[in-house]
Amino acid sequence: MGTMKTVEKIVNPRERVGEKSPGKIYTDKLKVRSRREWRGFRDTFYDYTRWCYLMFGVLGKFIMNPRNVKGFLRYRWMMSYLFVPHGMDKFTIGLRDEALRITHTAMNFVIADVTQAIYNCFRGDRRVGNDVKYSNECVITDENSMVTFMMGFDRDEVHTILREVPTMFASNIFHQFNVMHYLDVAQQNGIAGDVCPMPEAEAGISMDDDFCVLGCCAVQNNTTCDGSLMGNGIIAKRLERQYGIPTFQLATPLRHQEPDVLDYAAEQIKEAIAFVEEHTGAKWNWDIYFDCAKRVNYATKCRNAHLEINSTPYPQFFGAVFSLYNDTNYMGNSGRDPQFVKIDKKLLELAEKGYREKRMYAKEYRHRAVVWGVQPQYVIDMLYWLLQCWGIVPLTDMLSMIHSGMIAEEDTPENREQAYRDMATLNMEMIMRNHTHGGYDVLINDLWRTCEKMNADIAMMWEHMSCKALVGMHGMFEEMGRELGIHVMWVCHDLCDPRVYTRNAIRGQVNAYMRTVMREEPLDPSLENLPDDEAY
Amino acid sequence: MKKLVKIPLIVAGLGAGAFVGTFTMYMFNLDMKLMAVVAPLLEKWYDSRDHEFYL
Repeated sequence: MGTMKTVEKIVNPRERVGEKSPGKIYTDKLKVRSRREWRGFRDTFYDYTRWCYLMFGVLGKFIMNPRNVKGFLRYRWMMSYLFVPHGMDKFTIGLRDEALRITHTAMNFVIADVTQAIYNCFRGDRRVGNDVKYSNECVITDENSMVTFMMGFDRDEVHTILREVPTMFASNIFHQFNVMHYLDVAQQNGIAGDVCPMPEAEAGISMDDDFCVLGCCAVQNNTTCDGSLMGNGIIAKRLERQYGIPTFQLATPLRHQEPDVLDYAAEQIKEAIAFVEEHTGAKWNWDIYFDCAKRVNYATKCRNAHLEINSTPYPQFFGAVFSLYNDTNYMGNSGRDPQFVKIDKKLLELAEKGYREKRMYAKEYRHRAVVWGVQPQYVIDMLYWLLQCWGIVPLTDMLSMIHSGMIAEEDTPENREQAYRDMATLNMEMIMRNHTHGGYDVLINDLWRTCEKMNADIAMMWEHMSCKALVGMHGMFEEMGRELGIHVMWVCHDLCDPRVYTRNAIRGQVNAYMRTVMREEPLDPSLENLPDDEAY
Repeated sequence: MKKLVKIPLIVAGLGAGAFVGTFTMYMFNLDMKLMAVVAPLLEKWYDSRDHEFYL
């Protein structure tokens, strides 16, 4: 075993304005915090204006529509959205200046996007809005599929509905217990308790009749694991047999680094497009596609620029919100919504300004970490906590390390054929799939390459106890980590099921590692043990 | 004339009142505390609903 890698410790020359110990605002008496963080006048006022925007501009506006009230009372998962401001507060612990603005800009846009998704679901839902014309223009899309095959359809004619996003994934960000009911339903009906709780909860939602029912057809993807396949099977059966919604299975090759799979993957994309054309009656439009391709490339350029900044001593846009924004931009959008360009631009400007002025998110940076594995960091405030409590900067995460190359964006006969390959590549190298499928090289070697590129001394390994695929690789990570001198810090969890690993049990593993292996004391002791296991 | 003076004063007063009210709500997390009271009641509502199970 060689020497362990170390990184230069950087102390923030600027004293943090306002609250010095944000841990004090957590309380076990309530399921929410006792008050909001005081960030000095300027930043508290900014945070207040963003709160006003969420409360009145997004949520208030949404609930003013009687159709949405009906949907709210119909669907249990809607209860989570009562806690959107609470969820937002999880991502802003200790943040000031550009960091606060970057986090709000990205996350507020994600929230507005999810709100729009719920609005669309309720509009077409047979039980709520029952707008038949609108429903007939909708294609239900698997949340684990990148919507590249929709890039050439006019957004005013055909609508992509990722109904699992507001129902399960996003709602869990705001309320950690919201999927427990659906897990119970799935398990009561015979699904094993050790399956990944994410697809299991989705299967439970389908069994419990708690998905919106709309659309003229659906597209599912063989992503990302055996659990997902199981969940998709249950969902597709109900869609097709009970609701009469034909469902296409987009079979994306797993070994995406092998060049010989590309033709097959491109054929699958062609078939998905033909399926959508057949059921919606809409026609693929290459002008629309190449406009989307330009926006996808712009998003990729911005993401690469953020990663470049994050590889320096003054990273700017990182944490769970970096990942969530990428998820929304790539998977849910794929260049279809021009509004993302404006946000991409604004985020990059803020990050560049922060970098020029050497802004820091915390009072000290002691370690630089790459976050790897199946991550539950959206449900808890883990990455921001890691930074504020221990001075560990989470530079990037596995899910944000997706396809980073440019795709063809000029409309030529050659590029039209190339476009199918580009869509297939984006789909194969998208979130989760890019590193959990494709073998040893993309899962393990890519981690060390990322650590080197980002100058990280810690690989924070999320170990999802129900994810058999990644658990099997545990020993290999350990072995190579030792060889390369990178600290491999394992943090076990059970994704969106908080009953096995509570928030404190998750954080406790980091506390134990930092105290026993690193022999360090926390930067902010008020954050080390937080009484928020029962909090939303 | 008096009315013309009064109107901006009333608007400013209402604005200041709305700011004080919403800022107090924001700072003391009263919005989320209220939701924490509402959520268990809503849960009972959702529990009481019939669902069509399908396997």
